[in-house]
Amino acid sequence: MEQRKIFLSEDEMPRQWYNILADIKMNPPLGPDGNPVTPEQLAPVFPMNLIEQEVSTERWIDIPEPVLDALKIWRPSPLVRARNLEKALDTPARIYFKNESLSPPGSHKPNTAVAQAYYNKEFGIKKITTETGAGQWGSALAFACALFGLECKVYMVRVSFDQKPYRKSMMATWGGNCIASPSPYTKAGRDALERDPNTPGSLGCAISEAIEEAVSDESGQTRYSLGSVLNHVMLHQTIIGLEAKKQMEKIREYPDIIIGCAGGGSNFAGLSFPFVRDKINGKEIEIYPVEPTGCPTLTKAPFVYDHGDTAEYTPLLPMHSLGHAFMPPPIHSGGLRYHGMAPTVSQLVNEGILTPRSVKQKEVFEAGILVARTEGIIPAPETNHALAAVIEEAKKAKEEGKEKVILFNWSGHGLIDLTAYDNYLAGNIKDIVLSDEERIESEKIFANYPKPQSLKSK
Amino acid sequence: MSDQPIEDLERRCPRLGSPIPFRYCLISGEDDAICWKILDCWWETFDVEGYLKKNMPEAEFNHLMATADKPKNKVSSIIDIIEKAKKR
Repeated sequence: MEQRKIFLSEDEMPRQWYNILADIKMNPPLGPDGNPVTPEQLAPVFPMNLIEQEVSTERWIDIPEPVLDALKIWRPSPLVRARNLEKALDTPARIYFKNESLSPPGSHKPNTAVAQAYYNKEFGIKKITTETGAGQWGSALAFACALFGLECKVYMVRVSFDQKPYRKSMMATWGGNCIASPSPYTKAGRDALERDPNTPGSLGCAISEAIEEAVSDESGQTRYSLGSVLNHVMLHQTIIGLEAKKQMEKIREYPDIIIGCAGGGSNFAGLSFPFVRDKINGKEIEIYPVEPTGCPTLTKAPFVYDHGDTAEYTPLLPMHSLGHAFMPPPIHSGGLRYHGMAPTVSQLVNEGILTPRSVKQKEVFEAGILVARTEGIIPAPETNHALAAVIEEAKKAKEEGKEKVILFNWSGHGLIDLTAYDNYLAGNIKDIVLSDEERIESEKIFANYPKPQSLKSK
Repeated sequence: MSDQPIEDLERRCPRLGSPIPFRYCLISGEDDAICWKILDCWWETFDVEGYLKKNMPEAEFNHLMATADKPKNKVSSIIDIIEKAKKR
C-alpha cells in the first residue's frame, strides 16, 4: 500500500523555534521621529516577553511546555503526499503538503495565537484585543485565549462581520467577544460612526480600536495581538517547517521546491524559514512566495517593438508590452513589498534567497477546484495561490521529465469562505476584462513602430 | 466590460478576506481615504488609474501614485496608532 501521510509522534515535536534573525541582517523599523523603534515604545501594546522575542537574534528559542501542550491538540500536523493530484497532473513530481487546515480554527494561525496567549498570561495580562478581517485570526486568538483563560476582544471589520456570521459564532463559542468595527466602545470607533453611521468599517479603524482599548486600560492588564508580519509571529510559525524537515527525513526526501502563499508572510515563513537556513548554508533549493499578479503578463500583451521606458530614451526592443505609456501599478516590479508583508520575507526577497511568484485570480480558483476534487480538502482562498504555483511547477517537471520534490503549505481550509467559490463557480471571477476598446487604445502607440518577427530556434 | 457600474464591481479583498465592491476600496483607507492597494487589486479589471485620475483631486491622486509603493513598516504604523490612541 502506498504511503500517503507521514506522521510525527508528539514526542518528536520540535522543542525549539527557529529564529531567522540569527542568520540575516535587517534594517530596524523606524518610529515617527525617524529613530529606530525601542522596546519601550511597543510596551503599551505587547508584553515585554514577546517584545524580547521580537528583537532577539538567538537562533533557537525554546518552546515552553504549556505551549507545546496546547499545540498538541492538533500538532504535529501530518505531511501529506498529494498522490491524487500527482496522478491528475500526470507529473513525475512528488508533491507534499503540510496540512495546517487541521487546527481547531482551521488554519495555521493558532501556531502563534497559542504562543502569544501563553506569553501574555505569563506577563500577567488578563485581556487581549485584536482586529480581524474575515475572522481567521480572530477565531484563532479566541481559541488560544480560551486555552489560557484570557479574555479576548476582537474588532471585526463590519463588512466582514455582516458577511461571515459563523466566524463570530466560532469566536463566541470559544468565549471571545467579537464586535463589529467601528464600535461605540472606543473613541476611534465613535469618530468613524459620527462621520458615517452606516460605514462598512476598515482594517485601519479596527486596528485603531483594538490598540486604543489596550492603551487606555489603566490597570495595565490589556494588550494587543497581531497575527502576522511581526518577527515573533514568524518565529512561532517555524514549527511548521521544522516538523516538515523531520517528516521528510523519515522518508529520505528533501524538497527541490518550496511554495507558500504570501499574504502577511506568516504561513509562508513558517514552512520555508527552516529551509531558508539550509539554502543560506549552501543547499540548492528554490523557494517561492506566491502573491496575486500585479502587472500585465506576457500572454495578454502584444509582441511588439517598444521602448523600455516612458521617456523613449532606450532603443526599441522586441517585447510583450501594453505600451510604454501604460502605467502599471507599483507592486509588480519588486514584488512582496507592501506593508502587509513581513519585513523578514521582504528582506530575503531583496537578497535573492526567495523568488516571488505571481498568479492570476482565475488560475487561483481553478487550482483550488482541481485540488479539492482530487485531494478532498476545500482550500482556503489564500492556499489556492500556493496551489496554482504548485500545479505550474508540477507541469513543468513533467515537461522537463524531472522527478522534482515539491513541498507546499496548505495554510487552511475554505469551509467558511465558500462565497469566494460561489463567485468563481458562477463565473464572476475573470482574469483580464479590459474591453477591446481599452486594449486597442493602449496599443495605438505601436501603430508606426516596426513589427518584430516571431522567431523559433527549432 | 459589462454594463455593471464600476463601483459595483466585486472582488475578494486580499486584506479582509471577504468579497467587497469597488466602492468599498474608495473609502477603506486611512481616515476613510482610498485604500492604498486599490491599483494592485483592480488594474486587471478596468482602467482604475484612469478612473481615479478622473475622479480624484489632482493632489490626492498624485499623492496616491507617489506613496502606493512606499508603504510604512508595520511596526512604525503600530507606533503611530499607539501615539494617536494616547492622545484620544
